[in-house]
Amino acid sequence: MTDGEIRELCNRFFDAYQDRRVDELAEIYAPDCVVWHNVFGGREMSGAENLAALPASYTMQRRRTYDDRTINTFDGGFVIQYTLHGVQHSGHRGALWICIVGSCRDGKITRIDEYMDSGKFPAWRGAKPDAAKETAS
Amino acid sequence: MTDTELRALCHGFLDAIERGDATTVAQIYAPDFRLWANVTGTEITADENLKILRDGAALHRRRTYDDRTINTFEHGFMVQYSVNVVTHSGKCTSLWACLIAQCKDGKIARIDEYLDSGKFGRSAS
Repeated sequence: MTDGEIRELCNRFFDAYQDRRVDELAEIYAPDCVVWHNVFGGREMSGAENLAALPASYTMQRRRTYDDRTINTFDGGFVIQYTLHGVQHSGHRGALWICIVGSCRDGKITRIDEYMDSGKFPAWRGAKPDAAKETAS
Repeated sequence: MTDTELRALCHGFLDAIERGDATTVAQIYAPDFRLWANVTGTEITADENLKILRDGAALHRRRTYDDRTINTFEHGFMVQYSVNVVTHSGKCTSLWACLIAQCKDGKIARIDEYLDSGKFGRSAS
């Protein structure tokens, strides 16, 4: 895949995630796609597991936008740095700085490694700092 | 810089930190170097970072930067790695991190580091 194709795939992925188009995400994930996070115990999940969890995840916030996207591509993938802005149902606005490394093949994403800071989750949710838990919902 | 030069710079950087060799790290940083981390959201200078590295080296018996997966792009590299720590009490802990570096003329001009501060407590004792 060319630099242009990888960048387009990356933005298509984030636009679909932001607009809650799970069917589009299913098209973007390769059949053997794996998703891993540096939080949540570091467990790998399949693309199908990730997609199945999204509808419930989307109900947690009124709106999420994936902004300030800085993309660099390399042979077989991309790294994107971005700000996740969320508006909670309470009206609270929070932000997380996140980095994702995506591996790509034949126009699809085969692996996602996501790096974030669980210490920011309480502020993201609008919770008090002492309510810290390793969950972004 | 070529792919090979960027990879060598990345390894040289992480190897120097692993050894606690702040002198070499200082030589790797460009004069206008800045480091940003997602846990603080602020930028710091080379001198500020070097002080943190020197102070931090005394906190643990050993710190290694393992499982390095490096990819290079025009003007920089990204590396995914595990930081494995052995505390003075002998306890072993680890965290997963990723950093993106912008490079120029054989030096690192900027680092953006992403890690989970929720893992800090496990490695502090």
